[in-house]
Amino acid sequence: MSKNAKSPAKNPSALLATPYTIWMIGFIVIPLLMVVYYGMTAKSDGAFTFENIKLIAQPENLRALWLSILLSLISTIICLVIAYPLAMILRNMKFKSNSFIVMIFILPMWMNSLLRTIAWQNILERKGVLNAFLTFLNLPTLNIINTPAAIVLGMVYDFLPFMILPLYNTLAKIDENVINAARDLGANSRQTFMKIIFPLSLPGVISGITMVFVPSLTTFAISNILGGSKVLLIGNVIEQQFQKLNNWNSGSGLSLVLMVFVLISMALVAKYDKGGDSTSVW
Amino acid sequence: MIENKLIDLIHVTKRYGNNTIIDDLNLYIRENEFLTLLGPSGCGKTTTLRIIGGFESPDEGQVIFGGKDITKLPPNERQLNTVFQKYALFTHMTIAENIAFGLKIKKKSKQYINDKIKYALKLVNLDGYENRMPDSLSGGQQQRIAIARAIVNEPKVLLLDEPLGALDLKLRQDMQYELIRLKNELGITFVYVTHDQEEALTMSDTIMVMTQGYIQQIGTPEDIYNEPKNAFVADFIGESNIISGTMIEDKLVNILGCNFPCVDVGFGKNKPVDVVIRPEDIDLVKPEEGLMQGRVTSLIFKGVHYEMEVMANGYEFLVHSTDLSPVGSEVGIKVDPFDIQIMNKPESEDEEAVMPLE
Amino acid sequence: MKKTNKILALGMVAALTFTGCGSEDEEFTLKATNNYKAGENGEVYVYNWGEYIDERVIDVFEKDTGIKVIYNTFEENEDMYPIIATGAAKYDVVCPSDYMIQKMIDEDMLQPLNKDNIPNLKNIGSEYLKASEEFDPGNVYSVPYCWGTVGILYNTTMVDEPIDSWGVLFDEKYKNDILMIDSVRDGFMIALSYLGYDQNTTNEAELNEALELLQKQYPLVQAYVVDQVRDKMIGGEAALGVIYSGEAIYTQRENPDLEYVVPKEGSNTWIDGWVIPSNAENKENAEAWINFLCRPDVALVNFDYITYSTPNTAARELIEDADIRNSTIAFPGSDILDRCSTFKYLGEEVETLYMNLWNKKSN
Repeated sequence: MSKNAKSPAKNPSALLATPYTIWMIGFIVIPLLMVVYYGMTAKSDGAFTFENIKLIAQPENLRALWLSILLSLISTIICLVIAYPLAMILRNMKFKSNSFIVMIFILPMWMNSLLRTIAWQNILERKGVLNAFLTFLNLPTLNIINTPAAIVLGMVYDFLPFMILPLYNTLAKIDENVINAARDLGANSRQTFMKIIFPLSLPGVISGITMVFVPSLTTFAISNILGGSKVLLIGNVIEQQFQKLNNWNSGSGLSLVLMVFVLISMALVAKYDKGGDSTSVW
Repeated sequence: MIENKLIDLIHVTKRYGNNTIIDDLNLYIRENEFLTLLGPSGCGKTTTLRIIGGFESPDEGQVIFGGKDITKLPPNERQLNTVFQKYALFTHMTIAENIAFGLKIKKKSKQYINDKIKYALKLVNLDGYENRMPDSLSGGQQQRIAIARAIVNEPKVLLLDEPLGALDLKLRQDMQYELIRLKNELGITFVYVTHDQEEALTMSDTIMVMTQGYIQQIGTPEDIYNEPKNAFVADFIGESNIISGTMIEDKLVNILGCNFPCVDVGFGKNKPVDVVIRPEDIDLVKPEEGLMQGRVTSLIFKGVHYEMEVMANGYEFLVHSTDLSPVGSEVGIKVDPFDIQIMNKPESEDEEAVMPLE
Repeated sequence: MKKTNKILALGMVAALTFTGCGSEDEEFTLKATNNYKAGENGEVYVYNWGEYIDERVIDVFEKDTGIKVIYNTFEENEDMYPIIATGAAKYDVVCPSDYMIQKMIDEDMLQPLNKDNIPNLKNIGSEYLKASEEFDPGNVYSVPYCWGTVGILYNTTMVDEPIDSWGVLFDEKYKNDILMIDSVRDGFMIALSYLGYDQNTTNEAELNEALELLQKQYPLVQAYVVDQVRDKMIGGEAALGVIYSGEAIYTQRENPDLEYVVPKEGSNTWIDGWVIPSNAENKENAEAWINFLCRPDVALVNFDYITYSTPNTAARELIEDADIRNSTIAFPGSDILDRCSTFKYLGEEVETLYMNLWNKKSN
């Protein structure tokens, strides 16, 4: 039974897609199906069950989920507030320095994100770089480390480039003349922004929000390193299930709950960005 | 009726870095006038338009509108509207919302706006397109919506930046007539930018030919065409033969060794001049009947006329005629004195810079 | 030994490049007596903790025995367990921790050792073999490799009283100056020991009491850490921290203000030991490996590198530095050992209960 409508002989480009198809199936589809399988079966006897998913209802787990959502939302909003003006400024700069500035923002991404988070720990510690600097200036020291604020800082720093890039891409694509047209028709700067620039940048905004919110929702490394493991996030709970309790079923069940959020975000992106051009990095 | 001065550009200069785009430009535009700024790419015509519109500020000089100095006024406070080169429609809004944009800013009533939308769409022959999205329209339709969006605000002046550039020939010609009709119906001033001289000749009351930031000539289409002031204008508008010659005395010029009677005076005696003859003004006759003799070197049928090249006394003349002379035949060249245009040779360096290479 | 924060391993690699995990610049005195080519006499697959051997001894082993060593590492017992349980990779000799050895024995994953092939066992101190019997009755399946205690590391310049009790970790006086251990069993061990209960209890009332104590402690804790406690204490970030004895020696080298104590209420000793999985294909080579590591000179070299206590008393006698040879941190006397015990594996249900209670500590 042939799966392709056209045999490779008649449609040679179908053959070219084979490595990608294998990759998709082997590394994306199959693992996903495995997570669903583990999530819906009991560890003891493999019978179908909702118990793993219901684990989310335990008070600590709900609290962890709620905290994760809260911190991720705050981080996402902060990223948006920082990234939007930055993207606007980037957009308005002349071409030559443009790619240089973009490079500066992308450059941190070249280094392992874990190392960057640990670097922040070094900076924020009680006897860390920041406080040493403040003491040198005879200023009072800051005690940010091991608080939720430090976690938010870590998330914002880690994920800010993911907000800047899609925003910048979409803004850059707005034709200068469209903005001129709005001004020409009588709109002042505020009106031009609210009615023209912002609506046209919406696909980038949605894309950026997704690319920040989803990963920060599932993080557990940042809360351990910068939060002193004092804050239990949903990512920590899932990690515990897998690592410490060796319970792949409960871990998968909780992961399925998180997947709901991912799916919602993907649906939003699909709705607002039909052309898919805000998700390209360059 | 073309009446008083509406817009006045006084000593306007604009520079980008080391480049002077516009140098000491002085120009006035009258009410109800269709003025075309014509010139090759980079000549400064679009910059001039943008300065009038307020999208650029001049480094020196003033812009006067209706007697008031609007040089420092931002675009949204000027009583003119612009039709941009690639339409610049708001792709996230419907056609109706696009057209209504300026009116909503002015806080007009809903009823007023709806009436205006209907009126505008009717004016550009796109009734019923209110709820369509710009992406679903063809280039020509988008252009008309862009025009509708601009005129619905009843501006005193409409600025158009090469609006027909992206359309195919037939559509372009149709739109040209549409624009003329609109101008007559609405009675507003049009300032039109293009590099297409045919478009300029078709639609304008007045043409301003520009290059490298300087005005070369301002005049009616007939003036520009029949009596170009210098070689650049002559070369840019229509096709022409531009030959070096010598003005023997008033009404007589020597071209390539042959004397031609002409009608121009005041150029002095035995002065070197540039001579302009339009291809359609050259008659090919029997060799002995012509003032100069030559041989036909090429013949192309162009539908409207035959285009021939005739080599005579070292110069290849371009000839347009409805009669053909076959390649290789010996012919005589005859030109009505009235059709010979004499121009001064360029004196200053600047002028020399704009002379086309022979 | 538990390294629960395996994610730090990545960062530690960079951070430790300069600090090092042992004295690699000391002269390596171990020499091979034979000159076999590796592989002449077969091979052996070894699965050990990361940074848990001076890798130069592997070369010596290969030359001495002609057995080629394929050496791999893991970060946590829980990482190693599924690999061995599912047979995803076949290993001949593995080094799990006490409770994990117990679990693997319970689940029939190990095979008994042939002591005839491990004559160097005689170098292992009898008290350590006795302690191992808590999880490996009769020492049938395991040979101790490294061991240690859990205790309080404190900065003498930041405290003004003698430290000898787990109670200081719950004292308001040290608010935000306490680095508590981020490990379920160790955390509960501290609370239970302080309350006088068995660290392997399954009594829910006792566990809830311990939880209350942990909840009271939560606002006082600066951070919950495992590996990071070392660098943070060296850097003077906190006055008190919970640490493994092996790390304590290292920190004292780096910051002389630090002292280590095993509290009077008792604590946990942990033992990592070598075992041979049931599906091992090179059993005799595995026993040769274990035997080699029990040589005093080999154990000494490893002790210098790992700094975790060695159960090899013959090696201990070879230690040149008298301070270390007699260190009560590295080699606590029976007074300390008697008040410590090892963890038992409590079964899936109870382990999950512990985990759930632990997650409630921030309520």
